[in-house]
Amino acid sequence: MKDFITEFSKKSIEAIENLPHEEIAKALNILQGVYERDGRVYIFGNGGSWAIAGHWVTDFNKTVFSHHLGEHSKRFRVSRIPATEEELTAWANDIGYDMVFAGPLDNVLEDCDVVIAISSSGNSTNIIKAVEVAKKHKVPVIGLSGFDPSNKLNQIADVKIHVPTPKGEYEVVESTHDTIMHLMTKYFKNYFDHLVEGKQGNG
Amino acid sequence: MIVVCAPLRISFVGGGTDLPDFYRRHPGRVISTAIDKFVYVAINRTPLIPKISARYSISETVDKPDDLQHTRIKAALLDLGIDKGIEIGSFASLPAKTGLGSSSTFSVALMKGLHAFKGNKLDKKETAEEASRLEIELLGEPIGKQDQYAASFGGLNVVQFNPDESVNVDPVLLDYKKRLGLEGSMLLFFTGITRMASSVLTEQKSNIDKKFETLKEMAESVHDFKGRLLAGDYKGLGEMLHQGWLRKKSLASNVSNSVIDDIYGAGINAGAWGGKVLGAGGGGCVMFLVPEGKKPAVREAVARIAKEKELKDFQEIPVKFVQSGVEILFNGDEMKK
Repeated sequence: MKDFITEFSKKSIEAIENLPHEEIAKALNILQGVYERDGRVYIFGNGGSWAIAGHWVTDFNKTVFSHHLGEHSKRFRVSRIPATEEELTAWANDIGYDMVFAGPLDNVLEDCDVVIAISSSGNSTNIIKAVEVAKKHKVPVIGLSGFDPSNKLNQIADVKIHVPTPKGEYEVVESTHDTIMHLMTKYFKNYFDHLVEGKQGNG
Repeated sequence: MIVVCAPLRISFVGGGTDLPDFYRRHPGRVISTAIDKFVYVAINRTPLIPKISARYSISETVDKPDDLQHTRIKAALLDLGIDKGIEIGSFASLPAKTGLGSSSTFSVALMKGLHAFKGNKLDKKETAEEASRLEIELLGEPIGKQDQYAASFGGLNVVQFNPDESVNVDPVLLDYKKRLGLEGSMLLFFTGITRMASSVLTEQKSNIDKKFETLKEMAESVHDFKGRLLAGDYKGLGEMLHQGWLRKKSLASNVSNSVIDDIYGAGINAGAWGGKVLGAGGGGCVMFLVPEGKKPAVREAVARIAKEKELKDFQEIPVKFVQSGVEILFNGDEMKK
């Protein structure tokens, strides 16, 4: 048992030690720009990645502002798409599962927006189809993937946040994606705190 | 209606190396940041009014693009084959010719908007290329390409101009503390003197052979500037700006004049680490990097000179840096896809 735990911890630590710093920094810059311009952030993924997308929505829309909720002239506008199970099942049943993200995304994307696509394999067809919709709209794509760096999402995303692991290491990839999401949450939380507290500090 | 917004910029180091006579022989390089002052272009389709209307500092309504006085709108419409049924208006946070890149920022917003009017979406790189093509190829203006890229991409970047005409935009990945630190040590003043960049650049262009080595040093110093920026060494940055300004003054006789020299000198004597005149020179804005605590003294010294010289439009311009570049803020046009 102990060996198993040590082994898993080792892999997780290694993944975190090798975070792609520059790509994460680029993503933070893009998100800063979207915030300034009041654009929207759309996030999606399958299974565990869908859960990370939902967590991301909560942390960006509320947690990053939570120390001074009423004191910012605007807040992030982040949504997981599709917004409801009804919409998801309608696209899946009527058109095909490949279109569950691409279909709803095509309805809403505007020039000021950004897309975050999460896929451990980086090869899920429904994720790639949605990224192609973003490309058509010339909207930047932040892609979080794992396994092999030659995966499709990592090839076509504008910001390539890739967690290199052997194929099939979903647990390590997903928890590292979660860490990256929390890193970005913490960055913006500190930033928004600083904006308000810095002002107070200056009297 | 289509509404497009693009930011103005502050250029730190390397201006002039974005001219083709230089970068075709040696890669040019600049470092600049977009700021929270914007140019807006609004474009309206008027199928029932078969005219062309352009509203800027004046208002023109004509039957065909060739009759327009506004050279950029005229050239853009002719190039894109838009011959009637359009209204174009421009709006800005600051007056033109301040040295903050406003004329190329206008071109960026215009080209993005006119392409949207035709149902084409442009990304940031395509928009910068289109604006550069409009100004340099179609209109033959003797200007460089740095402003078109700064306005399209937004953020703080090193932009490199390669001999094969390709351009690399490399974002400087500053965290918010360093970004706010730089913002906080900066003072920007509009002198109230306006000038056309092209008049200074024409002389500068004719001097490129003579000044080749100076321009090469300016392009190289961008790396050093970026390093100090990432280290948060604002004093070092100020000193580099000072050196850069002295170099730039040597490029053309009309980059500076006695009023600009007096304003700049007053800021330095009052404790600024360094600074520069923004834009091609001869007027526009003067920017300083100033240690904490010296800001009131610099403000006072500079304002005193402005008063002496009777610069009635002189004012301080508070700035914040922005990450966002050119964006369509609203598109309700029928050609939207």
